[in-house]
Amino acid sequence: MRVRFWGVRGSLPVPGARTVRYGGNTSCVEVTSASGTRVIIDGGTGIRRLGKELMRAEFESGKGQAHILVSHTHWDHIQGLPFFAPFYREGNRLFVYARQRDDQNLRSVFASQADAPFFPVPFDHTRATVSFRELHDGARFEIDDVQVASARLNHPHIATAYALEADGARVAYIADTAPFSDILFGQEFLSGPTSRHARLGRADKATLKSMAAAVVRLCEGADLVIYDTMYTADEYRQFPHFGHSRPSDAIVVCRDAGAKILALFHHAPDRADAEVDAMLDGARAQAKTMAEKLDIVAAFEGLDLSLGRG
Amino acid sequence: MEVTFWGVRGSIPSPGPATVRYGGNTSCVSLQLADGEIIMIDCGTGARNFGISLLAGAFGGGKGSATVLLSHAHWDHIQGFPFFGPFYVPGNRFTVVGGSRSSELLERVLERQMAAQFFPVQSYRNMGAQIEMRSVFEDRQVRVGQAQVTAHPNPHGPTEVMAYRIEADGKTLVYAGDVGYDERGPSPEAIALYRGADLLIHDSSFTPEDRAERLSRGLSSLDDAVEAALRAEVKKLALFHYDQDYSDRDVDELVLRGRRLLDARGGSHIAIMGAAEGLTVAL
Repeated sequence: MRVRFWGVRGSLPVPGARTVRYGGNTSCVEVTSASGTRVIIDGGTGIRRLGKELMRAEFESGKGQAHILVSHTHWDHIQGLPFFAPFYREGNRLFVYARQRDDQNLRSVFASQADAPFFPVPFDHTRATVSFRELHDGARFEIDDVQVASARLNHPHIATAYALEADGARVAYIADTAPFSDILFGQEFLSGPTSRHARLGRADKATLKSMAAAVVRLCEGADLVIYDTMYTADEYRQFPHFGHSRPSDAIVVCRDAGAKILALFHHAPDRADAEVDAMLDGARAQAKTMAEKLDIVAAFEGLDLSLGRG
Repeated sequence: MEVTFWGVRGSIPSPGPATVRYGGNTSCVSLQLADGEIIMIDCGTGARNFGISLLAGAFGGGKGSATVLLSHAHWDHIQGFPFFGPFYVPGNRFTVVGGSRSSELLERVLERQMAAQFFPVQSYRNMGAQIEMRSVFEDRQVRVGQAQVTAHPNPHGPTEVMAYRIEADGKTLVYAGDVGYDERGPSPEAIALYRGADLLIHDSSFTPEDRAERLSRGLSSLDDAVEAALRAEVKKLALFHYDQDYSDRDVDELVLRGRRLLDARGGSHIAIMGAAEGLTVAL
């Protein structure tokens, strides 16, 4: 299994000299199995360059096939999709997976991104065959030789974590999520931290506990865990209601799950390259006491990992 | 009048080592006028850095006010809106000007970007600042302090975009983003809007060769920008809204080519520059 990072940033793309090493594109990770099954997780701006690369091979002649798993539809996870070139070539087959909505079908959510007055090419003008697969919470399914499991995350509106297994390897993608100490999903706009004021009821506590357990199960024995670690401890204290985690939250999950490598991911837009370096050093120091066998990397654009067989 | 570029890229932000000098953020230009008024033109991702700079002053304490001129609502011109820091400080006041048919429609357009499925703040009304919408679809004149702003609809593929002429402090700035003229080039009305500008910021997304391949997109080539500058007899032309795949060296080449084109067509008195993030031009 090969895992390549095309976009590692959260919130919005941040071009500039301060982000050249880790990269300024928003979330996009590509996973390919040894037999050639191609799964793309999230369609932030990083997916544009992936699309260009795919167009140098079978996608150019309309013979390409890829599966796009969407964690959630906040802009930084879908804003690159209208710029994904394989959509515009007839014959390509693209499958988009995301959690089902109560109010709207998935096709209309994605199509609305290309509506006037926002984008010049309507979604109906895409030439590829695009199919949408609506997932329920905790869905498990197969994409050819890749086994996929999913779990609901603790993030405003809706977000889904995925684990992919193939070639004897497992990778988990846990973004975006806050730690499991306060309910953030399904809420109206949260203008400030809530947990210090509102005590959780028993049902909420049970929901968060089972949510945390499901995330640990997704990461069980994983060769690689890609985790939303947007915040430092100080930032998290200020913005616990924004729906993002700290490296220490990811380390705890990886420890409990016996995961091998943790990739810090979804770097904050303000985080300059040297600050990501410092965050990585801090996380490695923390892991020494918490999970000494865990390897930690900070994801960067172009990071290319081979896991399991091939 | 001081003009600062915060985002100069077209279509989609293009981070990476190849775009560090000119910048990879999408469209955003700011104006600081002598009477203290602040105008922001377009709200691409460049608006985030402009917002950070404003928070160091009156906007940080909720005592700022500014006018935002939107050329149109394609993503690369509004995607910085949810990330513009001063919008989140109660007390700050903004007027957002756009070419939608009504102020209500302009509000609905911006509100769709903020919807819960796309952004956690869910509504611009949750941001904190006071934000008023104003359509210039019919009345194309806006007064901003001492400045007179005139809007003009230019063609942009199947839709239109507003070009803006801003006259203040005895100087004139014209912003003509995302414009795809027909084979006759800029209309007489467009030339009248650009006429004699001290600085014309003009869409020049492509080389002429690249534009030939992408006609349907309704954007300008370097030739179109040069043509507009010559016919309107402007003093200085700023190339702007570069294609997302153009590297810094490609843009260097675009500017050199623009210089040669102007010289060859009797425009050697017209200055030319490549708009770059962080650059301030005093008029």
